[in-house]
Amino acid sequence: MEGKHAKLERNGIAFAIMILFVASLGGIFEIAPLFTIENTVEEAPGMRPYTPLELAGRDIYVREGCYACHSQMIRTLRSDVDRYGHFSLAAESMYDHPHQWGSKRTGPDLARIGGKYSDDWHVAHLIAPSDVVEGSVMPGYPFLAETRLNVDVLPASLRALQRAGVPYSDQQIAIAGRDAIAQADFEGGFEDALWERYCENVQVRDFDGDPSRVTEMDALVAYLQMLGTLVDFDQIKVEEIAR
Amino acid sequence: MKPERDEISGQETTGHEWNGIKELNTPMPKAFHIWLWLSIAVSVLLWILYPSFPFIKSYAGGILGYSSRIAVTDDVAAGRAQRSEAFAPFETMSVDELAADPGLRDAYEDEIAVLYRDNCSACHGRNATGQTGFPNLTDDQWLWSGTPEEIEYTLQVGINSTHNDTRIAEMPAIGKDQWLEKGEIADVIDHVLLLSRQDHDPDAAARGAALFADNCASCHGDDGMGGLENGAPNLTDATWIYGGDRQSLHDTVNNGRAGVMPHWSDRLTEAEIRKLTLYIWWAGQDDGDS
Repeated sequence: MEGKHAKLERNGIAFAIMILFVASLGGIFEIAPLFTIENTVEEAPGMRPYTPLELAGRDIYVREGCYACHSQMIRTLRSDVDRYGHFSLAAESMYDHPHQWGSKRTGPDLARIGGKYSDDWHVAHLIAPSDVVEGSVMPGYPFLAETRLNVDVLPASLRALQRAGVPYSDQQIAIAGRDAIAQADFEGGFEDALWERYCENVQVRDFDGDPSRVTEMDALVAYLQMLGTLVDFDQIKVEEIAR
Repeated sequence: MKPERDEISGQETTGHEWNGIKELNTPMPKAFHIWLWLSIAVSVLLWILYPSFPFIKSYAGGILGYSSRIAVTDDVAAGRAQRSEAFAPFETMSVDELAADPGLRDAYEDEIAVLYRDNCSACHGRNATGQTGFPNLTDDQWLWSGTPEEIEYTLQVGINSTHNDTRIAEMPAIGKDQWLEKGEIADVIDHVLLLSRQDHDPDAAARGAALFADNCASCHGDDGMGGLENGAPNLTDATWIYGGDRQSLHDTVNNGRAGVMPHWSDRLTEAEIRKLTLYIWWAGQDDGDS
């Protein structure tokens, strides 16, 4: 032992090769799995890219730092599944760049918050959380309801995600702004067009209770109301996605 | 070359010399080496037993065939089985039968409260007394009847929810959609204030009576008592979801209302819905008159 070590220590080239080998291990373990990522990401019926309105909501979620207190990752633990629902699939964050798994739960996990509460509740809660939930320490975001959503940036947002591998078509990108406004307008009758362009699980309605305009509140509530609702778990057998 | 031994400590030196300074060779203690190799051995063992490295087509599954997803699925199923034993009556009995058994409340109410707080309290409050926009569940005023069976159905399909069989009740935007003129709306509101025995302008209320009969009575009834079959609230009592003062009434009549109760059939099991049904029904049994 002693002798081998001493020999290695005195041989510059051998020592450099050993350092290179050890230092590259970390890289190998992080990078190699990415080449076979399709083995990790499950077939998940119903999974689709975000609609422009949902994406705008997601951008607001990131901008306001919601991930600092809310995770979006239901772990394979009984306590998590009992409280929040089916454990999260890799496929459910396949279009997230970056993912919002989070590492801290000051508030509850939001991976399956979609449909749990009404739009009205989300709006009232986002404006003044402690008015609705006794003892809540969440800050209020009343300005969301007063801020008109900037839809002009949406084509660029979709384009960026397209470059990261999200399968947005050029047509979807071109009319992203219009689609965002259409999704918040139930009266407009755009539901069929949005369903055709995205999927039939797109929810089309006025989300913030103010049909006269599309606000950041519309976008954020649209995003929250679709979280965890896309994948049809009736079609998935746990044996097929066992990991 | 044999390293030189230091005379004072008796230890070997590294054999290097820098400007006359030599260094003792003090290698890691044996215990550290043993610990390091042991942990490497343990990790190799774990690689063999449990899923580890990715391959091109698949990954090393490990000889135990362990999957955290299958493990948690079994775990949750075991928990469900345990709960269905602990809450046995809720597995087999209908809500009517459960409601007829007075002993169940003392035995189960505290346990079901956990389920209530996790799913319902955000809107209806910790004590089920509701808040603006979200009805009080402890009083005797019901939109869709307070029988256990109807409460259960509301929990399953929701109100104005995304469920296919959802209950639907919508207050139209009488003002915004220009069913009535501004003055007419004020008259109708005075009539509603009269119905609920609040301060009102008698002349306006009288003018509003005919408008109410034409536009509102089809849902709320000629007498304003509402109807449990269409979810129209009773306007003659002191219970208001969105407030019964003139300004709140104006907001309601002008902009309409369509409160949403989510459906729970996808999120909760049938037994859990029965538990919550009874929990809510029990909460309504306290005010002495029922």
